[in-house]
Amino acid sequence: MITFIELLVNGISIGAVYALIALGFVVIFKATEVVNFAHASLLLVGGFIIAKTHESVGFWPALLLGLAGAAVLGALIEFLVIRRANVVNHSVLAIVTIGVDIVLTTELTRQIGTEVLALGDPWGSQVLHLGAVNIPLARIAALLAASAVIAAFLLAFKYTNWGVAMRATAEDAETAALMGVRRGRVSMGAWAVAGALAALAALFMCIFPTPGLDRTVTATAMKAFPAAILGGLDSTTGALAGGLIIGVTESLVSGYQGELVFLGRGLGDVAPFLVMIIVLLIRPAGLFGTRELARV
Amino acid sequence: MATSRTSRRIAALALLALAATACASEKATGGGGEAAASGDGVKTGPGVTADTISIGMMTDLTGPYASFGKSLTNAQQLYFQQVNAAGGVCGRQLEAVVRDHGYDVQKAVAAYTEIGPKVVAMAHVVGSPMVNAVKQRIEADKMLTIPQAWATTLLGSEPIQVTATTYDIDMINGVDFLAKEKGIKSGDKIGHLYFEGDYGESALNGSKFAAEKLGLELVEQKIKATDQDMTAQVAAFKKAGVKAVLVSVGPRQTASLVGVSLAGGMDIPFVGSNSAYSPQLLPTPAGPALLKDFYYMTGGAPIGSDLPALKKLADDYKAKYPNEAIDSGVAAGYTAAGIVVDALKKACESKDLTRAGVVAAHRSQSSWGQEYGGTMDFTVFDKPASLRSYVAKPDKDALGGAVVFKDASESDLVKEYQVPVG
Amino acid sequence: MSKSTLLWSVALAAAAVVIPFYLDASWLQDGLFAMAAAIGAIGLNLLTGATGQLSMGHAFFLAVGAFGYVYFASVPAEGGHAALDGLGLPTPVAAVLAVLLAGAAGGLFSPIAARLKGAYLGIATLALIFIGHFVMSNATPVTGGHNGRPVPPLEVFGFVFADTPDAPLVIAGVPFGALERLWFLGVVLLLGAGLFARGVLRGRPGRAMNTIRDHEIAAGVMGVPVARYRAGVFVLSSMYGGLAGVLIALVFQQTVPDYFGLLLALSYLAMIIIGGLGSVAGAVIGAVFVSMLPRLLTRYSDALPLIVQPGQEGVGAAEAAQILYGLAVVVVVLFLPGGLLGLVTQLRLRTGRRIASAPAAKHSLTPTPETRN
Repeated sequence: MITFIELLVNGISIGAVYALIALGFVVIFKATEVVNFAHASLLLVGGFIIAKTHESVGFWPALLLGLAGAAVLGALIEFLVIRRANVVNHSVLAIVTIGVDIVLTTELTRQIGTEVLALGDPWGSQVLHLGAVNIPLARIAALLAASAVIAAFLLAFKYTNWGVAMRATAEDAETAALMGVRRGRVSMGAWAVAGALAALAALFMCIFPTPGLDRTVTATAMKAFPAAILGGLDSTTGALAGGLIIGVTESLVSGYQGELVFLGRGLGDVAPFLVMIIVLLIRPAGLFGTRELARV
Repeated sequence: MATSRTSRRIAALALLALAATACASEKATGGGGEAAASGDGVKTGPGVTADTISIGMMTDLTGPYASFGKSLTNAQQLYFQQVNAAGGVCGRQLEAVVRDHGYDVQKAVAAYTEIGPKVVAMAHVVGSPMVNAVKQRIEADKMLTIPQAWATTLLGSEPIQVTATTYDIDMINGVDFLAKEKGIKSGDKIGHLYFEGDYGESALNGSKFAAEKLGLELVEQKIKATDQDMTAQVAAFKKAGVKAVLVSVGPRQTASLVGVSLAGGMDIPFVGSNSAYSPQLLPTPAGPALLKDFYYMTGGAPIGSDLPALKKLADDYKAKYPNEAIDSGVAAGYTAAGIVVDALKKACESKDLTRAGVVAAHRSQSSWGQEYGGTMDFTVFDKPASLRSYVAKPDKDALGGAVVFKDASESDLVKEYQVPVG
Repeated sequence: MSKSTLLWSVALAAAAVVIPFYLDASWLQDGLFAMAAAIGAIGLNLLTGATGQLSMGHAFFLAVGAFGYVYFASVPAEGGHAALDGLGLPTPVAAVLAVLLAGAAGGLFSPIAARLKGAYLGIATLALIFIGHFVMSNATPVTGGHNGRPVPPLEVFGFVFADTPDAPLVIAGVPFGALERLWFLGVVLLLGAGLFARGVLRGRPGRAMNTIRDHEIAAGVMGVPVARYRAGVFVLSSMYGGLAGVLIALVFQQTVPDYFGLLLALSYLAMIIIGGLGSVAGAVIGAVFVSMLPRLLTRYSDALPLIVQPGQEGVGAAEAAQILYGLAVVVVVLFLPGGLLGLVTQLRLRTGRRIASAPAAKHSLTPTPETRN
């Protein structure tokens, strides 16, 4: 039972981090209809800036710098590449982001080199003991920070001008433009927000219990894809739910690997994708996604 | 007009094709595969000319083992430079041909096809998947190859020389160490966290054997190289109530495992394979946990040991590469270069520097490498060259981040063990 | 066939025949990888370029082809850790079965593929790679597990596509080893694959596929059986992937599950974008570009500025190749909507106009996806 609770809490907190990343995907998708495969490099940039600056300026300013840096990079990608690509087929845009990702990731991993960079977070390897249940403090921080950010984001999405403009654009871009919404600004804003969310996620992915930032971080970012898809690419609620489902599934399946051994070893890695496929078979647009209705 | 131009071009092409078949090419005359005797009466083959000997290195400079690969490459370049300064081998200068495969099997296959025909031996090849992918060709070419991986799948091949112990031997000696010095006794449970693939599975063979012999129950957890957070695995070990954990994964996973376990109140000994530890982890938050009760088993002496040869190597290395960190790759690379060069020297004595001659010379040595802290027997290739493992312990101040905790020894357990081959 | 096309065909054919007599084995191997990539990319271009179905899981079908061939052709053997199964069929039969198996795998996935669109389909196919890797690593008797297993050489009517040191084959003074022999096999396969795909694209099915890509509902209204076409193209494209997998396995001589990963799948997408979406020639050009670039840079790294030797500080050849190919994807989409093929066509049109009054190319070579819907 204790194991189950530990795994569950852990899964929820990892899930919250996945949700941050997935939320970024969703925001970008809503604003520009692009599936952003360059998300992993936004993560890497955020983490890299925090890792490189925290020693000289302290952790909190470094975190702000990381958030800002990733946001700027996101906005730059939108401004320099996405906006200028004159393509109607959105699959092509998705592939362009793969190109962007390859360039950025290659250069960043070269910069990181062979080091494992610490991020200088205040939680260290402390652990909260609740009875017999042990949970790393960093995981609690991740859960709290992610929940706060997601709540703030959802409120902003609902009540601020930017949120309204964004939703209007997602609903019907041309009409929104006619109503005076500046599409360029909306989509650039979306990319910047996604960048900042990714940087925050990078922080929580690279601190305890993982040893630090290195070149393999991008691989973990892959798990946010099924999270975003199974929730529904155009649903913010979906990103949240998807993130949690993936996080908990992964944590439980790895934790009970011993009992699931008849299914083959290393199931924890594929479980998110299996869940995704099953959900998609039943609901092709994800749990909360809008079904595309065809008008003839 | 267009027609005449077209026909003229076609005629030109036909001529070209004719020329191709008529005079054939360098390929027809060269080849270079055959053994020939050079001026000094030494039989030579591919990779050896009258004044140079080319030696290949297939390394990882851009992939997951980049830091290890870089140390290996630097150390071997250093060795060759020192040999060249002392006059070379057989009156010839050594030349390294380095290719980076980035831990990608396809690139490794391509690299072997490219440099294979030009070198006499491979001073190191990083990664057992890469060695396995070109194993058949290594055997056909009789290319003396030193893999920098210690899986049992690499045994049983005449030209391939695994240095010192294999992972399973290390793990058996490790379990023996746990039983003798850490109070693990019959009926206890021990965990084994391992990577999928050769490395982890070789190690698992050893731990399974030792656990059965000592009446221990083994709790297995298999992970992938991309897994970073070991919380779930620690929870599983904790639930099973293990008294110690064997670790055959990468350094990052080790750090996460040890850190999470200790933070969660699981204060037990950890014993790692030689690839599970890297000194780069000590400055990270997991550092203190690693310094507490973590050990790793290694067939080759860690560079922080007191052996004079390794002390000299450390000094020379620091002089040549002042900005590079020193890790286990330095000693491993240097030793492997030594094996190749000694084989070349022996082959020179018998006036046969062909690849087959080099392999034969290499296989004639039954006790090699005392100065590097372990004797290796090269005359058999279906067994590890040594059954003795050091127990090393991380240390912040030591060179290479580790000191010898217990000198190399061969446990009684390992003597009964039948190594699976191939 | 116009005169210039004829000329190009003759030149390419001559080059294909002459190359194995001149270039050494490593170049031939690179060339063979490029040919295999070209076959796979043609298949992906049918699916993604011509029909507009984003597939990120193409590497999975290559793996099915490669491991299918090995399984069908191998004789059961005792391995180091585990016994390896095999059917020991004649190798050409095994190759054909492997391609069919890849098609069947595509067919099995098509109920999912038929329900999903765009990005959803893309990421669902991404799952194939991870699930495929899991299955391959665990199905040790079939795949050899993490290590993979050796590939039996192809043998057609007693002619072995392998090195035969006992009975060497020498043509015009050039020893013909495995790679020289496979080269001609590769050329034939690529030619066949290319011509077949061109037939599909230029005929009725091709127009139907393009209509589905451009406007699915319109296609349905016009009487195109959309669902059947989508499933059919998925199967066909998987078979191309399977064929590429078989060829790669033959060149490799060892199949390893790790190779058929995400990077491979992404590089196929990059190939069709760089070369030009929706056409055979585009896929081939893209495949050659993407697979030869890293090798060219590695080989000439000492002669190129800005690129350092292995082990030194700075941008290494492998990294430079990565960056260049990432950039190429971006640049092509931003500035060359038709890909490299479109660039070539444009250049030819321009020079053609300048030099002679000969009429420009009769047909548009690329059905570009940029047509608005």
